[in-house]
Amino acid sequence: MTTDQTLPALRILALCPALALSDTVVNALGIGVIALLAITVSSLLATAATRTLADEIRAVSCVLILAAVVGCLALLLNAHAHELDRSLGIFLPLLIANYVIQRCVEKSSTAAPVQAVITAIKTGSRIALTLIALGIARELVGRGSLLHDAALMFGDWAQRFDLQLFRADMGFLLATLPPGAFISLGLLLAARNWWMQRISRT
Amino acid sequence: MKRGASAVVLIVIAVILAAALTFVANVTRDRINHNAQAWIQVRLDALVPASLHDNDMLTDRIDVTAPDILGIPEPVAVYRARQHGQPVAAVIRTIAPDGYRGPIELLIAVNYDGTLIGVQVIRHKETPGLGDAFENRAADWLPKFRGRSLTNPPQQRWTVHKDHGDFDEFTGATITPRAIVKATRRALELFSARKEQIFAAQVKRQP
Repeated sequence: MTTDQTLPALRILALCPALALSDTVVNALGIGVIALLAITVSSLLATAATRTLADEIRAVSCVLILAAVVGCLALLLNAHAHELDRSLGIFLPLLIANYVIQRCVEKSSTAAPVQAVITAIKTGSRIALTLIALGIARELVGRGSLLHDAALMFGDWAQRFDLQLFRADMGFLLATLPPGAFISLGLLLAARNWWMQRISRT
Repeated sequence: MKRGASAVVLIVIAVILAAALTFVANVTRDRINHNAQAWIQVRLDALVPASLHDNDMLTDRIDVTAPDILGIPEPVAVYRARQHGQPVAAVIRTIAPDGYRGPIELLIAVNYDGTLIGVQVIRHKETPGLGDAFENRAADWLPKFRGRSLTNPPQQRWTVHKDHGDFDEFTGATITPRAIVKATRRALELFSARKEQIFAAQVKRQP
């Protein structure tokens, strides 16, 4: 019973470091894609290294692998998407401390390569989708826009995606501040629970 | 596996990963430097219009170390603007070390006569919505530095209202504007004290 209840709670807590990055859709999308890449590459490396790893150093090695992969991605991002790096760069190392990502990489180190990659992609996509959902909610409420600065990520042609739905000078400030992330997350979870209950009832 | 063997395996993994990281760092270094240069160039052009000078400010750059005036131990970059060889203006890339959540990196452009052309914040970690108001809510705050100099306002009023100075603070944030004002005043002091040396100094060759 305890594990049933503590595990979801832990997963929710695991989102905390990533919440800082969900203040706009573009940031959330950026960090989501990087998280997906990091988790997949790390998992692949972790399963490749399995045979040489003893149980007691498995977890440590996985964190090392994850740190190295995130480090490389940070450098590549800086080199190839400089403007995006300006808004995401300082938060990237937080991915290393993310419980869900660490756990997934650690699990992969004992799994077969194909299985590891599939699990990693699933977990990564889930993280990315959650962040994007939060990003949409927070940007909409906080700034009244969607996909602001999309040009940072996709180049100048993406400027047409920048939707200013209503003019919000500073918008609903709370939504862009860190507490807004927690409130949005709470609402998102409430919506999810409500939906799950509805399904189980019918 | 024995303890010692595990340690060896761990060290081997760490070394391999460090090597990979070093490799990527080497491959990307040129591009990252190039990006940073291009990024600064855009800011320099925005501060000192190209019509005012005929040299390449980005390469006409020296490093000045002045912990006594600036209050920071690191050297700051100074980009110089000249027209027909005559000094026109300088852009000082300095740091306000006492931001609310860490250092605030600034570009401070000064005319040769010591009046400010403009101040830009190029990197900061101030609280969104409060300390970063100069980016949105109080977007007219930084432009107010234009035309200021060490005598305008006089030195004891070169701070925020709360400290009996001439500069506004933002609603909900005093520390950020205080830090920016202080760093700007210090940059002006550096410029007025070392103006001649700053423009006379030779550009160091990149190794």
